[in-house]
Amino acid sequence: MIEVKDLQKSYGDLVAVDHVSFSAGAGRVFGLLGPNGAGKSTTISCLSGLLKPTAGSVWVGGFDLSRDAVKAKASLGIVPQELAIYEDLSARDNLAYWGAAYGLKGDGLKQRVDHVLNRIGLVDRAGDLPKKYSGGMKRRLNFGCGLVHEPAVLLLDEPTVGVDPQSRERLFDLVREEKAKGTCVLYTTHYMEEAEKLCDELAIIDHGKIIAAGTLNELRAEFGGNDIIRLAGSFELSSVEPVLVELDAELLSLTSEVLMITIRDGARNLSKVLQAISNTGAEIRDTRLSEPNLESLFLKLTGKDLRT
Amino acid sequence: MRFIFVTVGKELKRRFNDPGGLITAIMIPFVIGFLLAAVMGGGGGQPSIQARLLVTDLDDSFVSQGILSAFGQDQIAKMIQVEKLTLEAGQRRINEGDGSGHLVIPEGFGEAWLAREEVALQLTVNPSQSISPRLIREMLESLLDLGDYLHKVFGEELKIIANSLDGNELAGISTADFSASITDKVSGIAPLIFPPVMTVEDVTPQPETTSVSMALLMFPGILVMAAFFAANSQSSNFWTEKEKGTLGRWVASPNAFFAFWVAQWFTAMLLTAIVTAPILLAGFLYLDISFEKYFTSLGWLALTGPVLFAVLSVIQVLAPSRKVGGMISTLVMFPLLMAGGSFFPTETMPKFIAAIAQYTPNGNVTESLKGYLTGEFGVSGLLGDIWGIMAVALFLVLLAGLVSARKALT
Repeated sequence: MIEVKDLQKSYGDLVAVDHVSFSAGAGRVFGLLGPNGAGKSTTISCLSGLLKPTAGSVWVGGFDLSRDAVKAKASLGIVPQELAIYEDLSARDNLAYWGAAYGLKGDGLKQRVDHVLNRIGLVDRAGDLPKKYSGGMKRRLNFGCGLVHEPAVLLLDEPTVGVDPQSRERLFDLVREEKAKGTCVLYTTHYMEEAEKLCDELAIIDHGKIIAAGTLNELRAEFGGNDIIRLAGSFELSSVEPVLVELDAELLSLTSEVLMITIRDGARNLSKVLQAISNTGAEIRDTRLSEPNLESLFLKLTGKDLRT
Repeated sequence: MRFIFVTVGKELKRRFNDPGGLITAIMIPFVIGFLLAAVMGGGGGQPSIQARLLVTDLDDSFVSQGILSAFGQDQIAKMIQVEKLTLEAGQRRINEGDGSGHLVIPEGFGEAWLAREEVALQLTVNPSQSISPRLIREMLESLLDLGDYLHKVFGEELKIIANSLDGNELAGISTADFSASITDKVSGIAPLIFPPVMTVEDVTPQPETTSVSMALLMFPGILVMAAFFAANSQSSNFWTEKEKGTLGRWVASPNAFFAFWVAQWFTAMLLTAIVTAPILLAGFLYLDISFEKYFTSLGWLALTGPVLFAVLSVIQVLAPSRKVGGMISTLVMFPLLMAGGSFFPTETMPKFIAAIAQYTPNGNVTESLKGYLTGEFGVSGLLGDIWGIMAVALFLVLLAGLVSARKALT
C-alpha cells in the first residue's frame, strides 16, 4: 500500500529527509516515531504530494506518485497536523466538501457524511460551525475530513496534538477501526505511548534518518532482555561511570539529577546498584525499574530524550 | 469541472455564514461615498462642475451666433462654459484632453439651416470624460430641436432678419407689418406653448440638473470601490487556505491546482455581483436612473470584478507572506481608488490626474461603468467586451496560479 525507497528531501544544504525507506501493507499501522523536527512531517508531505522529493520514489496504493499522481492521490486520505478545516462551514458541510473533492456525490456522499459524523461523534453538532467546537471536537472533524472518501491509505500526522484524553481515546478507536477495515495507516507521533498502543511496525527517525525499524518486540530486543533503572537525585558525574563498568550496566543517560542505565535482571540487581551508586556520594531520592520502551530505545540510540 | 462549482458554492456559503462581513463589505463603500458626496457638495443639488465646450465658429452667421448665445444663458452657462477659438487650436486642445468637447460650426451652416437643407454640426468629445460630454450633446440636441420649432413657426421672419442684417433694414416689409406678423403667430400658438399652468421653470430640464449632481458623479466610483473591496477580500483567501492547511488538503487531493484558482475567479465574479447589486439598486432608486440599465451595469461590474481580483491576487501571491501581501495590496489599492475616480470623480480632478485615471484598471472600469449607467453602452457592448475582459482576467489568474503553486507546496 505504501512503499518508500531512498526518499530524500533537501533545502539547499539542509537535508530534511535522508535516504528514508520503508513499506507498509493493508490493515497495518506503521508508526513513524521521532522528536519534533526529525523529518516526520516532511516525509508525510512527500507522500501526500505536498512536497516534491529531491530523490527517491514513493508508491501509494500501487501507483507511483510521480507518474500517476491523480490515481495515487485518489487512494490517499490525509489528516494534517494543523486543523485543516473551514471554521466558517458546519461539520456536515466540511465533510461534504472534502468528500466531493474525491468525486463523491448525491446520496453516496450524504451517506458517507452521516456515517463519518457518527463515527467521530459529532452527529448532534453537525450543523454547528467548528468555531464553536472544543479543541478535541475540531481534531475529530479534522480526522473525519481525511477518511470521508474511504481511502485505502491514511496518513495521520500527529493527529492527537493538543487533544483531551477522551477525544484521544476516540481517535485511537478510529485508527483501530480503519486498521480492521483493511486501511493502511501511516501514523507519525512523538508520543511513544501512542506508538506502542497503535502501531504494528515502527520506524524511529532522527535528523531525517531512520535509525531503527521493526515491530515493537524487535525493537525491544535491541536491549537484549535488559531492564531499565532510572534514578533521580544528585550525582557526581565522574565517579558514577567507573561504578557502572563494575556492575556490568550500560549507561543510557546521565545528568547531575537523573541517571538511567540498562542492566540484566534489574529486579534482582536493584539493591546492588543502589548500594554502589550511593557509595560514590550520590544522594538518591527516587528509583524506577521498568522494561525497555521506545523512549529508552530512542535514548540509547541517540543519547537524547524523545520529548526534547 | 464539477468540483470547481462545488468549491464556488462552498466559498459563497462561507461568506453567507459570516453575514456581518458581507454587510460590512456592502456598507463601507456606501458610507465612504455618502460622506465624500456630502463633503463635496451634497447629494442632489446644483452641479459643482462645469463642462468646457470649445467652439470654432466657421460660419459666423446670425444663426451660429444664436447657438452660442443660447449656451450663454444663465442656467446653461452654469453647466457649460463656452470658449471660442480657431479650428487648429480647438483640435489641438481636445486631442490633449483639454475640454469636454469641441464643436465646429461649418461655414454656410446658417444659410443651410434657413433653407432647411441638410447640415451637420461636428462635435468631438473627450473620451476620458463621460458625464460632461453627454451633458453637452444633450444640450446641443435640445437647442437644435428648439431651432427646428422656431424655423417651422417663424421661418419666413427669420429669413427676413437674416437678410436684413446685410442691408441694415427689413427687406420688402415695414417694421410695423413685421412686428404684427410675429405677434399674430405668437398669439396663435400661445395657448399651445404657454398653457396657463406652465411656467418657465417647469421647462427647465430637471433631470439634467440631477444627472450632474455630486451623488451621480460619485456613484460609479463607489460601485467600483465596492467591487475592489470584494476582490481584495477574495484575493487574500489564498493565504487563509494556506495557513489553515485546507490548501494542503486540496493539493493532496486528485484535483488540479489550477482549478483552485478558477474557482476563486468564479467566486470573485459572484461575490462582486452580490456586494454591488444592493448598492446599485439603492443608487438607481435614489438617483432615479432607469432600471433598463440595471442589469447591464451589474453585468459590467460582475465581469470586471474578477479582473480586479486577478490583479490583487498576483500581488498577494508574489508577496512572501499574508501580512506583506495585505500591506502591498492596500498600498496599491487606495492610490488606485483615489486616482481611478472612486474617492473623487474624474470630472472634479485636475486634468493631469484625470488623464492618469483612464490608465488605471479601476479608472478604466469606472469610466466604462458611466457609459452603462447613462445608457451609452448596452447589452451589445457588454457582449462585445466579455471575451477580452475574460481573457485578461484568466491570464492574470493563470499567472497567480503559477506563482502560488510553488508557495502552496512549500
